[in-house]
Amino acid sequence: MAIDGLIILDASGRPVIQSGYTSFPPAYPLLLIDTLNNELSKASRTDSVDPVIYVPPGIGDFSGGSACCHVEMGELRLIASVSGDADPLIAFAFLQAFSEILHDYFGTVSTATLKDNFDVVYQLLEETLDSSGYPLTTSPNALRDIVLPPSLLSKLLASLPAPTSSGPNRPGASGASNAPSGAFASPIPWRKLGVRHNHNEILFDVAEELRAIVGRNGTTLTSNAYGKIEANAKLTGMPDLLLSFSNPNVLTECAFHPCVRLQRWMREKTLSFVPPDGKFVLMEYQYALPHAALAGNVPVPLALKPNITVGEFGGNFTVTFSSKTNRIMENVRIELYLGESATGAQCTISSAGSGVGSVGGIEGSWTFEPQRRLLRWEIPIMHSSGSWVLRGSWTSKAKIPRPAHAFQIHFEVPSYSFSSLKVDQVRLSGETYKIYKGVRAAGSGSIEWRW
Amino acid sequence: MDNVNLNAFTENAARLGMRIQETFSEHTRDLSITRGGASIFDMPDDKVKNIGKQLDSNSDREKLDAMKRLIALISKGRNVSNYFPQVVKNVASQNLEIRKLVYIYLLRYAEHEPDLALLSINTFQKDLADSSPLIRAMALRVLSGIKVPMICGLVVLAIKKCAADFSPYVRKAAALAIPKAFQLDAGQQPALISVITTLLRDRSPLSIGSAVVAFESVCPTRLDLLHLQYRRLCKILIDVDEWGQVYLLNLLLRYARTMLPKPTVSQQGESTEEEVDADLQLLLVSSEPLVQSKNPAVVLAVVRVFYYAGPPSSTNKVVNPLLRIMHISREVERVVLAYLLIITRAQPQLFSMQYQRFLVRTDDPSQAKRDKIKVMLNLCDVDNHQALLREFIDCADDVDDTVVGDAVHAVGRCARVIPSCTPQCLSALMTMIKSRHDIVVSNAVLVLKALIQNQLLVDSSAPVSSQSPLSIIFHLARRVDDIKHPQARACVLWLVGQYSAAPGASTVIEGVADWAPDVLRKISKSFNTEGSLVKLQALTLAAKLFLLCPTDQRLGLLCGYVLSLGRYDLNYDVRDRTRMLNALLVGISPTMNGREMEEQSSVILRREQVIKVLFDGKAGIIEENEETFGLHHIPIGSLSLVTGKATLGDSVLPEWLEGGIDPLLRQSEEDVLPVALPPQAISSASSTAAKTLGSAGVTPIVLTPTGSSTPVREAKESHRDLEKFYASGSDKKCSDSESSPEEESEDNLEEGDSAHDSEESQDDTADDESSEEQEHEVTDGSSTKVQQ
Repeated sequence: MAIDGLIILDASGRPVIQSGYTSFPPAYPLLLIDTLNNELSKASRTDSVDPVIYVPPGIGDFSGGSACCHVEMGELRLIASVSGDADPLIAFAFLQAFSEILHDYFGTVSTATLKDNFDVVYQLLEETLDSSGYPLTTSPNALRDIVLPPSLLSKLLASLPAPTSSGPNRPGASGASNAPSGAFASPIPWRKLGVRHNHNEILFDVAEELRAIVGRNGTTLTSNAYGKIEANAKLTGMPDLLLSFSNPNVLTECAFHPCVRLQRWMREKTLSFVPPDGKFVLMEYQYALPHAALAGNVPVPLALKPNITVGEFGGNFTVTFSSKTNRIMENVRIELYLGESATGAQCTISSAGSGVGSVGGIEGSWTFEPQRRLLRWEIPIMHSSGSWVLRGSWTSKAKIPRPAHAFQIHFEVPSYSFSSLKVDQVRLSGETYKIYKGVRAAGSGSIEWRW
Repeated sequence: MDNVNLNAFTENAARLGMRIQETFSEHTRDLSITRGGASIFDMPDDKVKNIGKQLDSNSDREKLDAMKRLIALISKGRNVSNYFPQVVKNVASQNLEIRKLVYIYLLRYAEHEPDLALLSINTFQKDLADSSPLIRAMALRVLSGIKVPMICGLVVLAIKKCAADFSPYVRKAAALAIPKAFQLDAGQQPALISVITTLLRDRSPLSIGSAVVAFESVCPTRLDLLHLQYRRLCKILIDVDEWGQVYLLNLLLRYARTMLPKPTVSQQGESTEEEVDADLQLLLVSSEPLVQSKNPAVVLAVVRVFYYAGPPSSTNKVVNPLLRIMHISREVERVVLAYLLIITRAQPQLFSMQYQRFLVRTDDPSQAKRDKIKVMLNLCDVDNHQALLREFIDCADDVDDTVVGDAVHAVGRCARVIPSCTPQCLSALMTMIKSRHDIVVSNAVLVLKALIQNQLLVDSSAPVSSQSPLSIIFHLARRVDDIKHPQARACVLWLVGQYSAAPGASTVIEGVADWAPDVLRKISKSFNTEGSLVKLQALTLAAKLFLLCPTDQRLGLLCGYVLSLGRYDLNYDVRDRTRMLNALLVGISPTMNGREMEEQSSVILRREQVIKVLFDGKAGIIEENEETFGLHHIPIGSLSLVTGKATLGDSVLPEWLEGGIDPLLRQSEEDVLPVALPPQAISSASSTAAKTLGSAGVTPIVLTPTGSSTPVREAKESHRDLEKFYASGSDKKCSDSESSPEEESEDNLEEGDSAHDSEESQDDTADDESSEEQEHEVTDGSSTKVQQ
């Protein structure tokens, strides 16, 4: 019913961090790592590797088989293995929580940061996962009390001799004297006591992502916008906030941080909460279209006209990309997987049409990524109603190439939200100071365009 | 107080300065911004020798360095158990960081060195009385982690002690230590069960989750222990931490299935009435808000409750939560799809409107794509089959072979589920046969075969159109050279043989369709290079054609040629088949293999009989149940469904009990009469609010009482509560019915403060004051106490 343990692999598939696995044969973690590495090397694209890999029983008295649940995190790969009657969702939820903790502690997480701070990582692991595999404390606020985040200062302090060893003049001090005094003193698990900030501010980031699939005839098959409100709270004491929206009816299928009072939300559609200190995801939601009853789709703000001919040992393509929104799109990335045996591509980019205004933004560039056999076309800035054409050809070792039959398009629209969700006001009670409040929106999209 | 603090600070600063100088002069490498961790992690082997010396040194810094090196070695998979004696010596180190690393080390190697581990036990026992809850909990965790059977009694004693600790964090550690003690010595079960019962009664929701874990591993069958706790556990569900919620929900579900009456549905004319037990309703109502958790595991646990314990009308509540968590990440989606497969198979109508959510994205993992296709097949109905069929056809272009196979088969299944779309499916499959990709063609052939057989079975006199089954076979026969996949090739050969009879029609060879003999000619040429599957079908084809027109000399020769090739084949299945066919055909053409007359059996069949043997009884279709239907009895939320392999210890949900047990058993004292000690205030509050569901908020759930709890103070607090309750009665009316943890936490915060402040006799009502300064005073106060 529990997670066996956690392993972190570096980019080359070697373990950097590994939890105890004390109740398993020593070969068990190695078996897991091998199985995963084999699967990864077998697969033509890392995308297609099953996130839950079955590991057959075979070693020691440990029977029944187990599963290796893994997620990618930058260059690293996190493994949580489960055996017996466990729900792999617990493993994935834990991996998610653990990677959030790592980001919270180290900012960017890479092999180098893990190696630099491996003692902290081990302490974190010890506090977040019980040795028999049950998740313990995963709230970053509570953890910060128990495991000190690394800093130059803490390094210096750690090099100091312990107070008692140098100070016999203080006989009363025991081992607890250098235990963080605030640990577990807070009445609510997600916020620590005695937080102080000189500047009291809370910033909300409303990030929405449009996920859509467009069929080969250009009709939108499915499209939904998912949003999440990330908050960064730097507030003193125990602030109690009340956040209300001017149009809460655009929100549906919501999920909340544990700090949000659910009954209040159900009754008044306002968020009442005592925030944790620092960054956290306040809520997640789906954009409910005004006429949700019908097969309503969020409009896709772009159009792609692919014209692809697959010949022998390669093919030709002409792809026209145009924006259909009056906003500026940024970091547009159009990708096409060219098939397992693709060897290279050659393209030119030109603007579509000759009229003034049809040219939008910066030209952009294309690359062929030989490892992932991916043709990528990037347009850093796309002006409204601009359009560009990518013409070219690719080569393949296979006589009949098998490219993917869909383009993956990613884009960002700064200061925009698909749902036009508006925060009405944020009120503070429980504390007397003034707070600075900020709300920022950001839209992005991930669209599959079939051809 | 401030002065003392300032002194301490300046003293620290001075020492810090000294230390910095020292470090600069001696060990400049350690001041690099990277903390030197990487250099420790990838240290050269000659440094390893120093570890022992460093551990014995007097300097904490050296020790810490050595411990880090040890942990780095562990992490690299090296066995460093030989340092055990030196590490054990540091177990009582005053430096918390050293200690934590020592704990990590001990937990890994205590098993190997039980005798030495025993040396450290005294320290842990001393630590169990430490003033910091962190130290107490850590000591217990390490103590229970040392797997030395000899100390089991000690561990149980420690658990008992910690289970009564006033910090819920320590109680949580106690609960988690229980399974370990149980593993060490199962004989301790009775003692441990009594601790578990205490822990389940815990007022703080923080430790409940771990208590449930302990319950599940020590006495999972003792559901009777939960009678008195059931209602309270339901009510505090929302305040438990997310992981605890998962375990608690699963336990409550099991309890409900075992102890509560099954919801009944009675049909009365038009309306259906559902009867749900009040206690079950309580569970459903209190778990429903949790679908809004961000943690997918919690959402799934709620879904399990509704799906396996809710009345039929409530199962639709699982739809949106499941669809929502699918979008959390690709990994979660993969797992949820495996569960959705089970749900959609049983109740497709729940999701049939939402089929768009399952459309396949090219960048999904293959397993997710395959599951999506299967889910969509389950959802296929009259309203959505057009869209789904289009989707399946699109999926047949995928780059993954297994996905292509599934998609093509899905097209075929679509035709079977919705017979009216068969023509569409057939034309789609015919287009696929023209595909340039081998894998598409071969799968399409297999599916076509099944469809054709099905069609011919239903309507053997189908009009000859471009879509008629026979014309499809004709197409296939013409393209036999392009069909490379052995199974598909064998399939075409079989189809040609089976349906090549053309009775009465004027054909070149009497009784045989014009396109059939050429297939035999082609296959006889390539016979030696074919796979054995194809060879078998080639033999059958030869025999069938010959049988249809025994008089044709060319057919006879071809057939004889193929049969003699088969007779000397390397594969004994092929030889067997040849021998059988020879024996069958001997009555029709004794001249064909006259040399073997001596081998033949005594029974000689007439032509009609042989036709019966070879052609009849083949029209039935074997439903391809390659699906692992065997898994459908496994409840959602278990590993087997995701991996598709049975794993050991698959939980099977208990069946409902006939009538449930007497609900009176669940009536705790709290429901009936005021509880004895922390008294009147609570009971009066809860009795007023008990009518509104989810009134858990009113019972004082103490998340973290920080002060030590002497009875005097408890009484005082409860009085204060009572006063507050009456004082704020007006404003509570609106807010009290909700059971949000914050409401209590505020109360508790105040309680916690008052525990500190009690000497200063703070005004109780002054809780609106910003507690910030107050708290600082308090913490300062405690630190001065320590320093004095």
